Amino acid sequence: MKNKLFKNFTITLFIGFLFSATSLAQETTVDDYRMKFDFNTFKQADNSRLLEVSFIGTNKKDRKDKAPVFEADIEFYNFLNEQEVKLGVAKTDKEGLAQLTLEENQSYLVDEEGYINLKAVFEGTGELDSEEEEIAVKDLYFELDLEEIDSVKTVLLQVYTLDSIKSKVPVEEIDVIFSVGGMLSKMPIEEASVENGEYEFEFPEGIPGDKDGNIDVFVSLEDHDDFANVIQKKTVNWGVLNKIIETESNTLWSEVAPIWMYVVLTILLVGVWSNYIYSFINLLKIKKEGKELESKNKELS
Amino acid sequence: MNIEKRKSELVKEFTPMLRKSTTTSKIWIGFLIAVILVGMYAFYIQLTKGHEVTGMRDNVVWGIYIINFIFFVCLSYSGAFITGILHFFKTPWKNSVLRIVEIVTVLSIVIGPIFILLCIGRLDRLFYLFMYPRIQSPIIWDVIAISTDLIGCFLYLYLTFIPDFAILRDNGEGTPKWRQKLYKSLALGYQDTDSQRERLHKITKTMATMIIAMAIITYSVLAWIFSLTVQPGWNSTIFAPYFIIGGLYSGISVIIIAMYVIRKFYHLDHYIRKVHFIGAGIILLVISLLFGYFTFTEYFARWFSHKGPDINLLNTLFTKYFWEFIFANYIGVLVPIVILFFKKFRTIKSITFAAVIAILGLYFNRYLIIVPTLETPYLPIQDTRPEFIHYSATWIEWALSFTGIAVFILFFILLMRLVPIIPMSGIIDNERNQKGKFNESTKK
Repeated sequence: MKNKLFKNFTITLFIGFLFSATSLAQETTVDDYRMKFDFNTFKQADNSRLLEVSFIGTNKKDRKDKAPVFEADIEFYNFLNEQEVKLGVAKTDKEGLAQLTLEENQSYLVDEEGYINLKAVFEGTGELDSEEEEIAVKDLYFELDLEEIDSVKTVLLQVYTLDSIKSKVPVEEIDVIFSVGGMLSKMPIEEASVENGEYEFEFPEGIPGDKDGNIDVFVSLEDHDDFANVIQKKTVNWGVLNKIIETESNTLWSEVAPIWMYVVLTILLVGVWSNYIYSFINLLKIKKEGKELESKNKELS
Repeated sequence: MNIEKRKSELVKEFTPMLRKSTTTSKIWIGFLIAVILVGMYAFYIQLTKGHEVTGMRDNVVWGIYIINFIFFVCLSYSGAFITGILHFFKTPWKNSVLRIVEIVTVLSIVIGPIFILLCIGRLDRLFYLFMYPRIQSPIIWDVIAISTDLIGCFLYLYLTFIPDFAILRDNGEGTPKWRQKLYKSLALGYQDTDSQRERLHKITKTMATMIIAMAIITYSVLAWIFSLTVQPGWNSTIFAPYFIIGGLYSGISVIIIAMYVIRKFYHLDHYIRKVHFIGAGIILLVISLLFGYFTFTEYFARWFSHKGPDINLLNTLFTKYFWEFIFANYIGVLVPIVILFFKKFRTIKSITFAAVIAILGLYFNRYLIIVPTLETPYLPIQDTRPEFIHYSATWIEWALSFTGIAVFILFFILLMRLVPIIPMSGIIDNERNQKGKFNESTKK
């Protein structure tokens, strides 16, 4: 009776585990994710233009669970009214990003107001719906100069657009950020409001450079309604030489171990081995006594 | 009580056990030798063709060899710990299990390190480890700890064997000459005089104390090999006590199984009684509760901290290793708890069943500590063949693993042929003590 009860109990427990485990092991599908298709453009320091699409799915129940769409073909177009020019195709990477770089000399279809109309298209697959997003952007130019005027390190900036005959048209008012390059990210040194296309300021002293004293100076515009993202960069030898930071070395990686380690190990080993020797000596004494007893017994017999 | 007569009676009682060779035992020994021969063939292939024949590759550099190593070494340490503790108990019941524990301790510390040698790709370079040791390295601590422990365990086992060797030497009528010579040399002239007995008890007691301390230190060193690295799943402050509890869990389980098999095969029902199983079962219950608590704490902390590599590891455990994880950490812990918690379930068979489940669960637990961590390192493994990322043990590894178990059982059987599994000297000591107490009470 007892055995039967035990058997039934074990089987019930095991089946219970099976069910709970199966419910835990359920797989998620594409329907559990909300797809996000973001299109953006960046004008880079060499005046090339980067077109970028971020294609990521976010779990409807757990926003922390993001699934980038991998190897999706994204087509980029420049269009004006009915006219459409294919700029190229890029595949999304493991981060869900598809990027296409257009060289400085790339010609675009531009509307009357000077906007370049760009479009990113994902045709869709059996499981994923098609996606499309458009942006309109004007071509903006940053001219960055780093000069010493009367021994004062000065940063000069000209901001302009080009008209139909390629002559410079200063931008009336725009907010930009000046920064210097660092190891992990850029450090802002000036937030400026540019008026009539020109701005200048004194470069701060004491900024550390690389081993040769060089500093990368950036001016950037971010998420502007008309010009989107623009960045320009110049390198100048105005940096203070970085001092070599002496970090404390890990003593475990040195040739010789820390002294305390030798001391602890020696104490432990001496303690253990002295006990072994003590036991061994006592065993010899037992043996000696045994021999003496044996010889006595022989004598008696 | 005539002690010499009693000794002679005990030898007569246990001698059949030393010489018993039934058909079953012969088949069993033949089977074990066959397993060992297959293992030797597997070793030959591994030696000539290299580690290519195993499932270990660049990323997963440790497989079931290291798991066997941990398993056997932990078994030994837990055996040492238990035998050390038992030595201080002045109860007659300890006598029936003491020698089983001692043999488990010594055999597993001999077999465990062999798996490390199988794990080394270039055995010819092994001597560099001893020529140029780095005291800072936990691997060196482990080498020192295991070699020191090995000597200590042998010495302790020998000390406990001496009185029985002496009894067998003095009552050797009808035993082969080689056996008589062997017992004579191993007994070291022990005549059971008061001074000899006192001296032997003194050094055995000191060794028992030291062996407990050594088990804790060497256990911790073994755990530090993993926890002192920054690998996800290994870098944990509670790994040393977790290993100690895990080791005790497997140690007690193996002792219960050994008790069951020996009791059944040698018909020692009057020596290894139900009370021994219930006692061991209650200890197993306490250890399983502790082991479950440590396991929960370990995984809960990793899940809650939500660090990227830890989450990757947990995802692997809950997907690829789902059933292994469930068996190791749910079935392997909860089933023994349920069986051992309720008094009516505590039968000899069910306690042994709980011990079997505990051992299997713990083996999976060790597997899940080693392999999934190596499969999910900090830097994602990219653009390589699947067999370089995912580990799967080959027949060579399994054959050598089973050889380890076969050698363990075979040596256990051979040692039981050398001395009785129930220490005769222990029975004599108990009877002598009881008589002493009785005389004292009658005088009063």
